[in-house]
Amino acid sequence: MSPRLLLLLFLRRWHARIGLAAVVFFLFLAVTGVVLNHATELGLDARYVHVPWLARWYGVAGEPPRHAFRSGKHDLIAANGRWVLDGRISADRVPQPIGLVELPDMIVVASSASLYLYGKDGVLIDRLERNALPAVPVQAIGAGARQLVLRTASGIFESSDALSWQPAPRDAIAWSAPADLSVAERERYSEMLEPGVSVQRVLLDLHSGRFAGRYGPLAVDLLAVFLGVLSLSGAWLFLKRKHRRERH
Amino acid sequence: MIRAARRPLAMLTLALAAAAVHGEVYQEPGAFIAEVFGSTPAPKVLWLTRELQAQAAAILGHPPAQLRQRYWSDAARSVWILEETGKEELITAGFVVADGRIDHVRVLVYRESRGQEVRQSSFLKQFRSAKLSQGNRLDREIDGIVGATLSVGAMERMARLALLFDRLSHG
Repeated sequence: MSPRLLLLLFLRRWHARIGLAAVVFFLFLAVTGVVLNHATELGLDARYVHVPWLARWYGVAGEPPRHAFRSGKHDLIAANGRWVLDGRISADRVPQPIGLVELPDMIVVASSASLYLYGKDGVLIDRLERNALPAVPVQAIGAGARQLVLRTASGIFESSDALSWQPAPRDAIAWSAPADLSVAERERYSEMLEPGVSVQRVLLDLHSGRFAGRYGPLAVDLLAVFLGVLSLSGAWLFLKRKHRRERH
Repeated sequence: MIRAARRPLAMLTLALAAAAVHGEVYQEPGAFIAEVFGSTPAPKVLWLTRELQAQAAAILGHPPAQLRQRYWSDAARSVWILEETGKEELITAGFVVADGRIDHVRVLVYRESRGQEVRQSSFLKQFRSAKLSQGNRLDREIDGIVGATLSVGAMERMARLALLFDRLSHG
């Protein structure tokens, strides 16, 4: 058998073996690649997976909620960058709240640098950042004489509409304060507020191999080399057969 | 699963989250408003009725995030500070509208990791004098930027929204 024929047989055999061995991985890379290419349209960047083992794997340690803020019929429980207001879970990455106040026509959640105004139906009316606040950081939020009241290092301010702020008297203010959670509540809200990882992040890490740790990208590199070998050997085999056919 | 992978993954996740939260602040919204008017006037409010929510949703491609839109105005101009997601993060931009046309635009906070070119004046000047035409579209095509397609789209949507809000704020 001539060396050229030997090489041809060798290439054909290994082309088939590598192709068969890597088919699952290639399909996986192709599918994750296509999905990642359309991640924004599919809304994967805004979707989070809240699974305990995945959060542990990413080292995102979940903190159980420690307390609740209560005002009238409303309650707010926060942990891991999310909060539950009257049973409705907020979007991800909201700030840590420092209090909750119920006014005649709205519910207000305060963090140290922002206010979230909700309607009584839980729909977000407005979000006020530091520029729209009388001073930051906000130290406490309260209600007094149907007015919203904020305590800051620069003084106490009140507003009826969270648009214009005036200095407020220091008396007759009911400040929002944390309340203890029962054991049952803590368990329920811990489950609801499990930390999450974005779907896009997980897909990207799976696609690049980073999900498997330090050696994952090297495994993906190896697959890329296999793909290169398959392309070259496939092209060579095709051209060889074509050349032979033309000679006959 | 390799235990050693957890720390880098956690650090990467935290770094991305931190970068996303802070972003690049080119100008504080308050400073932009003060620059336009010379001082900061009291904010006014445009309530998004059901009909207005539907119109805003048609422009944005999703329901508006909130029901109350603050704005600042004098006899000649109105200023709208709007936020919209580019690829993954919110872009905050200030729009000055005068006589139903955009007077000028500025990117105030940019939180995406790529596509900062939308803050360049060479891009933003395309919006100058733009007005709404039929179907709440701009009366002109905005040239895109390679690698910043989604941020360009977000800027265009916000420009249309600012013009719509300005029109409705006049009753």
